[in-house]
Amino acid sequence: MTDPSPTPRALIIGAGIAGMQAALDIGNAGYDVTLVERRPSIGGRMAQLSETFPTLDCAQCILTPRTVEVGHHEHIHLRTYSEVEAITGDVGHYRVRIRRHAAYVDWDRCTGCGLCQEKCPGKVDSDFERHVGKRKAIYTLSPQAVPNKPVIDREHCIFFQRGKCKACVKFCPVGAIAFDQEDTIVEEQVSAIILAPGYDLYGLENMPEYGGGRVPDVIDGLAFERLLSASGPTAGKIQRPSDGQIPREIVFIQCAGSRDPEKHMPYCSKVCCMYIAKQAILYRHRVHDGQAYIFYIDIRAAGKRYDEFTQRAMEDENVVYLRGKVSRIFRQDSQVMVWGADTLSGQQVQIAADLVVVAPALIPHPTTRRLADMLELPVDEHGWLLPLDSNTHPVETVRPGIFLAGAGTGPMDIPETVAHASGAAAQVLKLFSRQHKSPSVIGEAGGERQ
Amino acid sequence: MARIGVFVCHCGLNIASTVDVQRVAETLRHYPGVAFATDYKYMCSDPGQNLIQQAIEEHDLDGIVVAACSPTMHEATFRKAAATAGLNPYQVESANIREQVSWPHQKTPEKATRKAIEIVRSLVEKVRYDEPLTPLTLPIVKRALVVGGGIAGLTAALDIADSGYPVVLVERSAQLGGRMAQLFHLYLNFDGSQSLLEERIEAVTHHPLIQVLTNAEVTEFGGYVGNFTVEVGELGNWEVGAVVLATGFDLYPKANLPEYGGGRYPDVVDSLQFEAMLKEGEIRRPSDGRVPREIVWVQCAGSRAPNLHRPYCSKICCMYVAKQTIAYRRAVPEGQAYVFYIDIRSQGRGYDEFVQRAMEEFGVVYLRGKASRIIQRGRQLQVWGVDTLSGQSVRVEADMVVLAMAAVPSSGSEALARLMRVATDENGFLAEAHPKLRPVESLTAGIYLAGAAQFPKDIPETVAQGSGAAAKVLQLFAQREMVSEPTVAIVDEELCAGCGRCVPACPYDARSLHPRKKLALVNAALCQSCGACIVACPNKATIVRNLTPDQVLAMVEAVL
Repeated sequence: MTDPSPTPRALIIGAGIAGMQAALDIGNAGYDVTLVERRPSIGGRMAQLSETFPTLDCAQCILTPRTVEVGHHEHIHLRTYSEVEAITGDVGHYRVRIRRHAAYVDWDRCTGCGLCQEKCPGKVDSDFERHVGKRKAIYTLSPQAVPNKPVIDREHCIFFQRGKCKACVKFCPVGAIAFDQEDTIVEEQVSAIILAPGYDLYGLENMPEYGGGRVPDVIDGLAFERLLSASGPTAGKIQRPSDGQIPREIVFIQCAGSRDPEKHMPYCSKVCCMYIAKQAILYRHRVHDGQAYIFYIDIRAAGKRYDEFTQRAMEDENVVYLRGKVSRIFRQDSQVMVWGADTLSGQQVQIAADLVVVAPALIPHPTTRRLADMLELPVDEHGWLLPLDSNTHPVETVRPGIFLAGAGTGPMDIPETVAHASGAAAQVLKLFSRQHKSPSVIGEAGGERQ
Repeated sequence: MARIGVFVCHCGLNIASTVDVQRVAETLRHYPGVAFATDYKYMCSDPGQNLIQQAIEEHDLDGIVVAACSPTMHEATFRKAAATAGLNPYQVESANIREQVSWPHQKTPEKATRKAIEIVRSLVEKVRYDEPLTPLTLPIVKRALVVGGGIAGLTAALDIADSGYPVVLVERSAQLGGRMAQLFHLYLNFDGSQSLLEERIEAVTHHPLIQVLTNAEVTEFGGYVGNFTVEVGELGNWEVGAVVLATGFDLYPKANLPEYGGGRYPDVVDSLQFEAMLKEGEIRRPSDGRVPREIVWVQCAGSRAPNLHRPYCSKICCMYVAKQTIAYRRAVPEGQAYVFYIDIRSQGRGYDEFVQRAMEEFGVVYLRGKASRIIQRGRQLQVWGVDTLSGQSVRVEADMVVLAMAAVPSSGSEALARLMRVATDENGFLAEAHPKLRPVESLTAGIYLAGAAQFPKDIPETVAQGSGAAAKVLQLFAQREMVSEPTVAIVDEELCAGCGRCVPACPYDARSLHPRKKLALVNAALCQSCGACIVACPNKATIVRNLTPDQVLAMVEAVL
């Protein structure tokens, strides 16, 4: 039996936990995968998290073995700091154009020693740290980054802006800095595609009722994750952005921009109830005499040991749950005043908080729309990618050969994302086994051993 | 004389900012048997691995210790690198001086450095006696067993079979389709999805590679990943390489809820009974066949009740109750629907909007509070509860009550789990290997989970999980053979008296007695190298390879 077609290869866009899981499932079955990630390193949103609910496992501890496995996998070809620009063709024969951004560092030479980051004098707010921490103009996302190679942010590099500095050049022991590097374009042939673009958070600037992003001690859930994280900017110490004080009274606001059809998003963002309960528990673990309040509409703790977890927050950690929406937040002296209603007692509530953590709606990642347009895939009115059928075909799309994984299809938590991604991988494996009927597979499978 | 190499990693600053890595390397350089010792910024980086490979070749090393992070991180990396340079990978050891030294002892660098030196010394002693070993290989039977013919099992079976591997699908009842076949419309894609279940059943039934066994149950089970043996009642025996458990859920029995009538009131029905009415197109009270004008739905019946019933939230009820109220109002436009709830859990794309529709478009009255009791007064039912929003106690008169009963593991699933040595959780659901990152794997290699058997979940999530479990099976079957670690227990035939004490001591069923010779046998595929047999053996006839008593003693001596 001869095989006319080349070995099939999959393209996965997005290297968060969904994209990585799908890549591992396909790679472990012996097929090649090109894994494209926009950021300089893989891990996605999960890499930004501190601990995870409901076990309080440290995210970095369970994620790092995965990122390392992906990084070293013989069948997974990482293309980080890269974006897919165009895809043409059809199932079995896609042609993909990928732009790799100039990192201004020769990654083949770089040993990842980190000296350049230590010596670089250009400091800027870090997106990865959600602006509660800084990074250098030459940077990796984290010390555990895979690949552990830095990129230069041209906008903030003193040499690029003013023509002199070159501290990195001076200190790099292997001469890896390459200011003249340019974007490169590669083209690849793939047989199937998985989209795993993930989610973003609705910006605080869209919600004037919560300070519109102008109150420094009102931060979003991901920023608080960074404050909780042992590898974050405060090494896990909870210090508020304005003055570094440890907050004694902290208010969490759920459904910020979610379940609000008039002004914001109509849908429930699914993950906030649980991560807020977790954050309140972690806060109480770090600040023993601190008091945590949570404003909620419904507590949505649906999952294995989830309801029990929120009970723990209430009973063991004395977190005060207030059922109602916050009407107004404003700065008063060094505190943040939170005005809201407790719909259970019918009373107005006013809390003078030291720090407010807002759980904004999850929204599709901005890259999703472009991908959907490029591939002519349908999205819903909010921009979430739509599966072929929500119930029976949750990972397939209207186009054969193109599959979906994770929160690009709507908010979902990590276990659901991982299962969803494995589901997408199964569809790719199924497709490949038909396209590429290697004699060994059929021969062995057909052998009756009953 | 041994020729051992020691490689101390800085891990950037992770180790080097606490542990004096140069001193560790320097001290070890003078340790007996050490032929080469050095430190480097990142041993796992390509230049770090090159450094190890060059040293193995140049210094003709016969064993190496890499002092770096946890072996779960990079032991495989270093073993692979060493093998490329011609060193047997089982003569590579990892000394964990990051998680066990630099991270926990950041404030005491001097003590940390001394501890690092001791740990490395003990690993040098271990590697000194490590034998070169070859991984064990075993054949894989490329056929899968799927237990459960609901939407999870159907999806898994189809994904596996469509990829070219035979599947045996075992279903306890007479028909395929499971719980989904009992449902009226679904809440997402309200009018569409039932036909898709039919299509899937058709595809499974006619698939040349799927053998469907209905009215069938697994009665015997043995073996290990890649080589399980399964007996399905009178129907026969099969060898399979992998298993997907998709045994689904049951409803908590009404009889367990005396506060809601304990099953004695005919017009208090459970949610599946109501689905059956919807499917038949006739919503009539069981007692007298009248069309109910007022129906009360009681959510969390048996759920979220840690002391009395089930402590957990059953996850799916909020949504199907909203669906049932809409279906009722469509069928009986003049009817009134009430829902008692604690929290409305309608999470995900389109879910909350759906519940909003029930309230706004179909006028369903949601009352926030748990119904405290249901009593029958003549031909009417009274549902008592507290509306926690107004603080008032309420009494709703109803013609019929629908209880959204807790979802529990399907009957028999715990016994099946025991038979297959699959762990269950505190509520009897099948336990996943890791709650975050391994949701479709059980803790038993080669056995995977799909659907509500693991925990209540709705159809989209169940289908994704069914496919996810299939992906794991396909990965396993893509391997040419099973590779397993050779560092397992072995028996010294000279010393073994065949007393059999190790057989019950082994928690993995890896020990047995030779049918004729008085000799203990080890099934290397099942052995997890735990060492229980070593303790049980009165003759010291059993050891774990590369972790012999002599090695352990030498390691202990090195740190004392």
